[in-house]
Amino acid sequence: MPPKRKAAPGQGNASKAGRASAMSTPGPATPRSLDSSIMSDGDEDFDEDVTEAQKEREALLSREADDFVNKFTFGGKRLQGQNDELGGGGRRYDAATAFFRKRDFSHLPLKPDHQNRPLWIDPDSCTVVLERFNPLAEQATDFLITIAEPKSRPTFLHEYALTPHSLYAAVSVGLRPRDIINTLERFLKTSLPDVVRMKIEDHTKSFGKVKLVLKHNKYFVESVDAEVLQTLLKDKVIGSLRVHGSGDITTSYAPTMGGLVIPGTQNAAGVHQANLRQAEKKPGEGGDASNEADLFTALNEEDDDDDKEAVHAFEISDANVETVQKRCLDIGFPILEEYDFRNDDVNPNLEIDLRPNTQIRPYQEKSLSKMFGNGRAKSGIIVLPCGAGKTLVGITAACTIKKGVIVLCTSSMSVVQWRQEFLKWSNINPDDVAIFTAESKQKFSGSTGIIVTTYSMVTNSRERSHDSKKMMDFLRGREWGLMLLDEVHVVPAEMFRRVISSIKSHSKLGLTATLLREDDKISHLNFLIGPKLYEANWMELSQQGHIAKVQCAEVWCPMPTEFYDEYLRANARMKRTLYAMNPRKFQACQYLINYHEARGDKIIVFSDELYSLKQYALKLKKVFIYGGTSQAERMQVLENFQHNPEVNTLFLSKIGDTSLDLPEATCLIQISSHFGSRRQEAQRLGRILRAKRRNDEGFNAFFYSLVSKDTQEMYYSSKRQAFLVDQGYAFKVITQLANIEKTPDLAFATPLESRELLQRTLVDNERGAEDDVETDDLFGKPGGRGSGGGRGGRRGGNGVRRTAGMLSELAGGQDMAYIEQNKAANKALKGKGKKGAGGDGQSKFFKGIQREKDKSRGRG
Amino acid sequence: MVKAVRGVLVECEPAIKSILVHIDSTHHHEFIIEDLDETHLFVKEAMLQVLKSKLEERLRETYRPEEPLEDSE
Repeated sequence: MPPKRKAAPGQGNASKAGRASAMSTPGPATPRSLDSSIMSDGDEDFDEDVTEAQKEREALLSREADDFVNKFTFGGKRLQGQNDELGGGGRRYDAATAFFRKRDFSHLPLKPDHQNRPLWIDPDSCTVVLERFNPLAEQATDFLITIAEPKSRPTFLHEYALTPHSLYAAVSVGLRPRDIINTLERFLKTSLPDVVRMKIEDHTKSFGKVKLVLKHNKYFVESVDAEVLQTLLKDKVIGSLRVHGSGDITTSYAPTMGGLVIPGTQNAAGVHQANLRQAEKKPGEGGDASNEADLFTALNEEDDDDDKEAVHAFEISDANVETVQKRCLDIGFPILEEYDFRNDDVNPNLEIDLRPNTQIRPYQEKSLSKMFGNGRAKSGIIVLPCGAGKTLVGITAACTIKKGVIVLCTSSMSVVQWRQEFLKWSNINPDDVAIFTAESKQKFSGSTGIIVTTYSMVTNSRERSHDSKKMMDFLRGREWGLMLLDEVHVVPAEMFRRVISSIKSHSKLGLTATLLREDDKISHLNFLIGPKLYEANWMELSQQGHIAKVQCAEVWCPMPTEFYDEYLRANARMKRTLYAMNPRKFQACQYLINYHEARGDKIIVFSDELYSLKQYALKLKKVFIYGGTSQAERMQVLENFQHNPEVNTLFLSKIGDTSLDLPEATCLIQISSHFGSRRQEAQRLGRILRAKRRNDEGFNAFFYSLVSKDTQEMYYSSKRQAFLVDQGYAFKVITQLANIEKTPDLAFATPLESRELLQRTLVDNERGAEDDVETDDLFGKPGGRGSGGGRGGRRGGNGVRRTAGMLSELAGGQDMAYIEQNKAANKALKGKGKKGAGGDGQSKFFKGIQREKDKSRGRG
Repeated sequence: MVKAVRGVLVECEPAIKSILVHIDSTHHHEFIIEDLDETHLFVKEAMLQVLKSKLEERLRETYRPEEPLEDSE
């Protein structure tokens, strides 16, 4: 990289020299005046001068007898001593130094043209900071996304971390250590510290050197470097597993991106006229590689000539793949999995193409180009925000590979959704998309096709019905081109292991919005599925209008004294119930619902606490769905929420956190949540990101989190927000809702009512939280999760209760009658649904009875 | 015979008052002389420092609770 034009030559330095705080430091090769060396970057020769200059300066300043300056002088002297100890490490000290402590990196010399370069680096933690306002930021972002993990992306400064996994991912998309170092060097304001350089070299040296390729349905261990293969073959374990008689190490040429066109891209649109299918079947024909390939060639200028690089391979048998993988990891050569689907003529091709009018969005294209970077399909994970079209990415990947596809999702409802999406976006024959759930077990008609199923169906280790057993054998007995794993973050690692070991697929693509877990299991996915291929920037997508703009707010609700007293005395479980049932929170919720319903918003209210969910929904007369709601009722409620203008608010328990597609919802209120789970917060936010109205002028979706003051909720809440804040969202804190006391029918407005609520809450919850165990995902069947979940413990408290009473009580013989005063709004819906709009409530028969009753009452 | 106890008037938020009362009740009522109203307490002067430190401890607990890491689903 040739040095760029110098931004600030000699005069610039001289003019800035007067200011101790000036940021610019001349580069090592630039000759300097004595003044400017105050900000020395530490060449040995100049060390004497530095101290001279500093002393002079200090003497000058101390004469002014200013407090601040005194401090400065003291600091200078103290640190000067240290400077000598370090043998003239060249650090620069000033009044601010003390504040940076160990994180003072002013000793890293700035390049003369640093203003034109967008990156800073922290050599200790390998954190790279990107200036988004820099003209080169776009390019740098593309590069950083490839080599580092985004940590935090607010508006102006982005933070990325170089981690072993991210470097592993970079290598897996075809970057080489040399390219990474050169490009970093080009973008950095300082020269690349040796520590970082070594770290990069260290981590990339072995990563990606070895690839596992399925060719002609045989597994090959492949490498560009013949020596590496020799090392592997000499290894005791791997060497013995090699298939003999298949000839020695074979050498062939690496495939190139040329000719492979991801459907739906602009490029594809162009090729379409020139007969897409032909172009795809003859690699190397389509001369111009697509945009994404350009990106890489731009990044690594010397990369052009390794298109024709020779690769060496040896064969291993199918049964030993996992052993070899593990062994390779142990000896420091993690294996990359790739699928050369264009040369796979054993598995039949699937007739599938995106519909010609389907245009995929730029970021979807980018993410897919990472997957198909070198003309083969890599396994990995693509991270896109909820509502940004993950499904379409999956479908496009399927259309590119054109082999049998198995789709795994979290619930039977999303199974149905996936199938519909396949039919919507591609021209696949509807008979070729089959569903495998508890209710329906189909097979595709042709020789290959798509199966959509759930994780629990595939991993269920308990007894199965005859049908599903047959189906499983069918799934196991086949080879799949692509395994699509929806919402990968939710599934425990053991479950994946079971899926992956039972179903054989050439490539795996994981899709998720929030690649994070509060436990550390997320790193397992790196090895079970593959590296993170792409992660989209939420803010960027919302600016481009792909997902809704969201205003986030945290509303602080004070606890009334009697509630707080009780809270202090309560056990952990009761505490949670109490802060959810806080009457002020209730009022805030009511107020926000009123406000947003008046604006025409559709509102979802989330509560993890089932008790409070029901209380809120009943009191406010809104519909609700929780684990215990029957399938039919759920469908009805959702239908109504989507289409009925009367039903604008829906209460959901945590079953609605993920994969619930409600594009109508534009406002979200959270009244209780799962401790400090960042993932839940992000997933919930995702429910309103796909808002239908997002492209309206000035449209905003709203996300409110209601928090009881002075309780643990405050702490959890700040923790939960961390992920979204890192994505660039800002939370406003609302301490007081204006005019809340003027709300008509404000709930629990008097202390008496609020005390009653407290008493009721305590009594109801003492009886034991019998129905507070959520057993399924939305629309899913309860159970069937094998040993995946760890929720057995919560059921512990429900024993048998013994009470004294009369037998006649049970039969209702004691003149007791029950009337349900506070009916669930769900039931009202049901009533309407049955009788249609016209009926005014009762059938003729019951009306007759009612009349009779009235008459007899009148007489008596 | 009248017995006099030196006391200090403490004014605080209702929530803090609740915490103070709770601390008092778990320590044999050795801190508070009189519970005046929503925001005021009359506290034994000698015990004030002890009460302060106990309150601080309690507040720390409130803001940094133990976190269960159950996140399997």
